[in-house]
Amino acid sequence: MSIEGKGEMMSKTLRLALVGFLAFAVAACGAGVGESPEGEGGGEQGGSGEGGANKICMMPKLVGIPYFNAAEEGANEAAEELGVDLTYDGPTEALAAEQVRRIEQFTQQQCDAITVAANDPDALAPAMTQAGEAGIATSAWDADVAEDSRDVFVNQATFEAIGQTLVDIMAEQTGGEGEFLVVTGSLTAPNQNSWIEEMEAHMEAEYPDMSIAEILPGEEDLQLGIDVTIDYLRANPDTAGVFGVTTVALPGAAEAVQQLGREGEVAVTGLSTPNEMQPYVESGAVEEFALWNPVDLGYLAVHVANAQVEGNLPESGAFEAGRLGEVEMLAEDEVLLGPPDVYDSENIDDFDF
Amino acid sequence: MSQYTETSGGFLSRIKFSRELVLLGVLIAIVIVMSLLSPVFLTLGNFLNTSRYFVEIGLISLGMTLIIITSGIDLSVGSNMALVSVVVGFSFLGGVPLPLAIVLGVVAGLAAGVFNGLFVTMLDLHPLVVTLGTFALFRGLAYGFSDADAVSSFPAWFAYFGQAYFGPVPGQLIVFVVAVVAVWLLLSRTRFGRYVYAIGHNEEAARFSGVPVQRVKLALYAGTGLLVGLASVIYVSRVSTARGDAGLGLELDVIAAVVLGGASIYGGKGSIAGTVLGVLIIATLRNGLLLAGVPSTWQLFLLGVLLLVAVFLNEFFRREEG
Amino acid sequence: MSGVSTTRVEKRSDGLLRRSMARPEAPALIFLLALVIVLSVVADGFLGTSNFEGILAQVVVIGIIALAVNQVVLSGEIDISTGSMLGLCAMAAGTVAVAGGGLFFTLLAGVVVGAISGAVNGFLVTVARIPAIIVTLGMLYALRGVLLLVTGGDWVTGLPAETRVLGIGSAFGVSLPIIILFALFIVMELVNRHSDWGRNVLAVGGNRRASVLAGLPVGWARFWAFVLVGVAVGIASVIYIGRAGSVQTNAGTGLELQVIAAVVIGGTSISGGRGSTLAALTGAVLIGVILNGMVLLGIPGVWQDAVLGALILLAVSTDVLRRKLLGDKA
Repeated sequence: MSIEGKGEMMSKTLRLALVGFLAFAVAACGAGVGESPEGEGGGEQGGSGEGGANKICMMPKLVGIPYFNAAEEGANEAAEELGVDLTYDGPTEALAAEQVRRIEQFTQQQCDAITVAANDPDALAPAMTQAGEAGIATSAWDADVAEDSRDVFVNQATFEAIGQTLVDIMAEQTGGEGEFLVVTGSLTAPNQNSWIEEMEAHMEAEYPDMSIAEILPGEEDLQLGIDVTIDYLRANPDTAGVFGVTTVALPGAAEAVQQLGREGEVAVTGLSTPNEMQPYVESGAVEEFALWNPVDLGYLAVHVANAQVEGNLPESGAFEAGRLGEVEMLAEDEVLLGPPDVYDSENIDDFDF
Repeated sequence: MSQYTETSGGFLSRIKFSRELVLLGVLIAIVIVMSLLSPVFLTLGNFLNTSRYFVEIGLISLGMTLIIITSGIDLSVGSNMALVSVVVGFSFLGGVPLPLAIVLGVVAGLAAGVFNGLFVTMLDLHPLVVTLGTFALFRGLAYGFSDADAVSSFPAWFAYFGQAYFGPVPGQLIVFVVAVVAVWLLLSRTRFGRYVYAIGHNEEAARFSGVPVQRVKLALYAGTGLLVGLASVIYVSRVSTARGDAGLGLELDVIAAVVLGGASIYGGKGSIAGTVLGVLIIATLRNGLLLAGVPSTWQLFLLGVLLLVAVFLNEFFRREEG
Repeated sequence: MSGVSTTRVEKRSDGLLRRSMARPEAPALIFLLALVIVLSVVADGFLGTSNFEGILAQVVVIGIIALAVNQVVLSGEIDISTGSMLGLCAMAAGTVAVAGGGLFFTLLAGVVVGAISGAVNGFLVTVARIPAIIVTLGMLYALRGVLLLVTGGDWVTGLPAETRVLGIGSAFGVSLPIIILFALFIVMELVNRHSDWGRNVLAVGGNRRASVLAGLPVGWARFWAFVLVGVAVGIASVIYIGRAGSVQTNAGTGLELQVIAAVVIGGTSISGGRGSTLAALTGAVLIGVILNGMVLLGIPGVWQDAVLGALILLAVSTDVLRRKLLGDKA
């Protein structure tokens, strides 16, 4: 077959392809005439208002890590209790672009409420705003989106509470003085940076002999967290303690101290889950650490979303959230789970997340 | 690697040119299955939404098709997208007026493509290893320049690129159709297009018959870089954010689409029509699975398998004709 | 990826220097030496046994896998699925460890899962005749998907101390993983030089067509190379979980790039048929030194990928230039 012949053959098949393409479009148009949800029915309460279970669409930062698996547990618990139809899914990597896509799908699916833990507060804003305009109740949990793009934020703990709790724990173990290393996730993660700021403020106010000497990124990679901590402690042997402020950084720091054989000499604390930290509490590398209960957080997020749909979310004061009892509303658009929990060898076995 | 493809007559060779028909059939089958799985699938709103995603993959796939026809490959397209995004966002942040920043971004994409092309042609290196190196280099530059941060404060009109509609049709769809027609014309109606197939069939022979092999290849990598630049600008405006993690995993979708569309990795075969169908199939598959509530973890697995099956079928049919 | 054989015929009259320079790992070794000297002067804390031990410990996983991937590249193929393979093997090994399997079964689990994955790769490349780049690209995603599906996203924590010994144990005062790395290096070197399979791999990579005509088992040579990668990943995974103490679902992400970089930077040619075991080891150590140097010099981690990519390009370019200088036919 000559090259020219190929050209003719292709023009035939290209035409076929374009026809197929257009056929698809026409079919979609035809089917879409009755049901396009694109924002025009602003008055409609996001779709299934007439009865049938409320449809709540919930998205973590990513799936595949224990913290968000635990949140899913709580979310499912609340969904069963309230009789709502829950969809819990997120990208396999913490990518904001993937979350944007899913928010748009949720909007297409006419969820009654969308609640997200954002990888990037501004990237998700346009999609969330659009969802809101389509009549869907919008909220965020764990990590907020831009304030004007969602109705409510379900906060696990205030930045101050987290910062202060961690510093207090460390102060107790080190006599309120010394230089400290902080191992974080990514250097630009907004939550972690706010916590670190609060830690520094609390140190200045209450423990002027404590100071943060260095902040290193662990990039949510366990081995990297171990390696940077080991390298730092070798180079700075007088370090009084290490803060690991993500659920991956803390076990990494503890492991590093343990491998160096310096448990008890270098204090380690931070934020992580009991299951992860159990071996280190047992070995003594970590005495106390903090977190909040992600199961409760997921549970609360679903309750809040449902209340939004039903229209009975209060504007201030306290919010009644199932088995959590009364939960505080910090502001018209912020619900607080509570103060951080502190775990140690006595209570660590009581939790399974 | 050169291949001597002979096209004999008979039934089996007719299967070759109706491959696009087979793909069309597969696409229609997927559409039917997905619409049964989710009532929202077959709606105008959903279709237009999906079209916004596949335009970005589609534009890049056009360039990748030509590269693969010449038995080359480009693994760096996703990283290139990140680099362009960061150039656009961070030069804007640094005070450059946005229109100029956009131009800078597209130029950066083009430059990256030229960079690839020069290593492949001047140093006679295998495109696989060159683009593996630039896969890391471009991504690294994107992360480095952005310091792993993001820029989101764009003026309202920028969203126009990625979110505008002309009547009911999204702006990008028009851009995509224009690009498809342009590249198709290039491939099937010009001498350049014939050169591309000739190089894919037998590079040595092409060289001896006077085909300017090096220049054609350079043009292909540069052109793909340009397309990446264009797709990246659309992408950044669509998500209103410039980040260094843009385009992660993009190369899988693009290569899968091109290969699904009938291009052989060994070169000499491929068509724009096939690639467009491949892009559509992958986009509707991803979209449909999401709507049907299939968890993300399944999608990851399925796409990897899909790539393998697609290539296997490709090579199987190719040998049948041989 | 076959081509004309690139081994230059060595003349007896060549001096020792010339012959040494012609060895594939020569440029990398020289670069490594130069880098070590420069960093000792410029970077605080570089020169010291504990730092060197740290560097070696950090590259053991990459090094072991690179030794095996080296064989695949020598045979003219490529494997970029190793990162996801490591995650899967680590998860399998970790699960057995936590269930009380002890060191032996932990190791067995990792190796078996690795061998099966490698066999799948090998099968798809040799029997289904899908190009290796596509096979391993598809597997990179498919295996990660399998990992997430099977674990449901849960991590494995609390590995018993006895199963971690390959990662953090030591014998005769030297860290155990480093001993394992060098032991495997010696094994691979012997296999390469003195076994039929090793010689077949080089022949196949150097000139596929000639090997087929010569009646060499071309398919089997490549198949076993892929299986070997799986086995190496399995062993490396047990070291990995030993060092980390727990297994995350994103374990091994991005590893495949570092492994290929090690092989290529060390001096093994991507077109096949040319390279050595020492090249892979040198490349791995070189990467470790560079990353360590970056940390000591305070270069932010965000530039890491850029450095790796630039090095890959530099390495393959100098390989081409060096061959032209030495008069090899390209």
